[in-house]
Amino acid sequence: MTLPPPVERRAPVPLNFETLAWLFMRYSGVLLIPLVWIHVLIQDVLVGVHAIDLDYVAMRWATLGWRLYDIALLAFAFAHGMNGLRTVLHDFIHRPVHRRRVDALLLAAWFFISAIGAVAIVGGVRAP
Amino acid sequence: MSSLRATLDGSMRYRGHEGQLSFLLHRLSGLGTLLFLTIHILDTATVYFFPSLYQHAIAIYRSTAFMLGEIVLVFLVIFHGTNGLRIALFDFFPRLWRPAPEKRSVGWVLAISFLLWLPAAYWMGRSLVIHNFSGG
Repeated sequence: MTLPPPVERRAPVPLNFETLAWLFMRYSGVLLIPLVWIHVLIQDVLVGVHAIDLDYVAMRWATLGWRLYDIALLAFAFAHGMNGLRTVLHDFIHRPVHRRRVDALLLAAWFFISAIGAVAIVGGVRAP
Repeated sequence: MSSLRATLDGSMRYRGHEGQLSFLLHRLSGLGTLLFLTIHILDTATVYFFPSLYQHAIAIYRSTAFMLGEIVLVFLVIFHGTNGLRIALFDFFPRLWRPAPEKRSVGWVLAISFLLWLPAAYWMGRSLVIHNFSGG
């Protein structure tokens, strides 16, 4: 395999939604590495699912910092994932009218599920 | 959906080696993590909306099948992050976007992901054995 070395090309990039979405994926991706890895390390590896119950969640959310941490996790991880799903779906759906429908559906699902998560984090643990 | 069939068919035949492997793994790990994340947001939200349901959700997570799935999920999350970092790094040095450095870097990403995953997998596997297989 002998290819010529890549030549640098510069092209103007319009500042539209797709460009902003691309930038969001790059920046949120880098941010999510510490955010998600620390979350997984603490909850899944060190604490473990057998030690997690309502009391544990209440204890964790008694600290404002952890609530803000979980809000950031929810906001960045879910938006990153849903936009990733949008990218994958656009590889298979080409007609603009179909893409618009899929985008609207994903936007609604993203907003609805994010809202449910956010209300729970802000509202906190209630007595069963 | 003919393009979906072309993808499934083409992915088996196209011999893209490491570059194609990392592309496929990046997509599948991303989609798998999103599926889990969606369920995870909704089950955690029960602590506010339906607190009495939370212990039932946690009971499912404590099953052997879910704990094994969790160990796989942790690898997917580590791989997705490491591979994303590789792509971001290559974009800073576009000269790297050539077959040879790409192949090498995919090997490095897999090796680093595996090494980071091993201690986590050991610890989670240990927890699985203690809680689900030794009467604890």
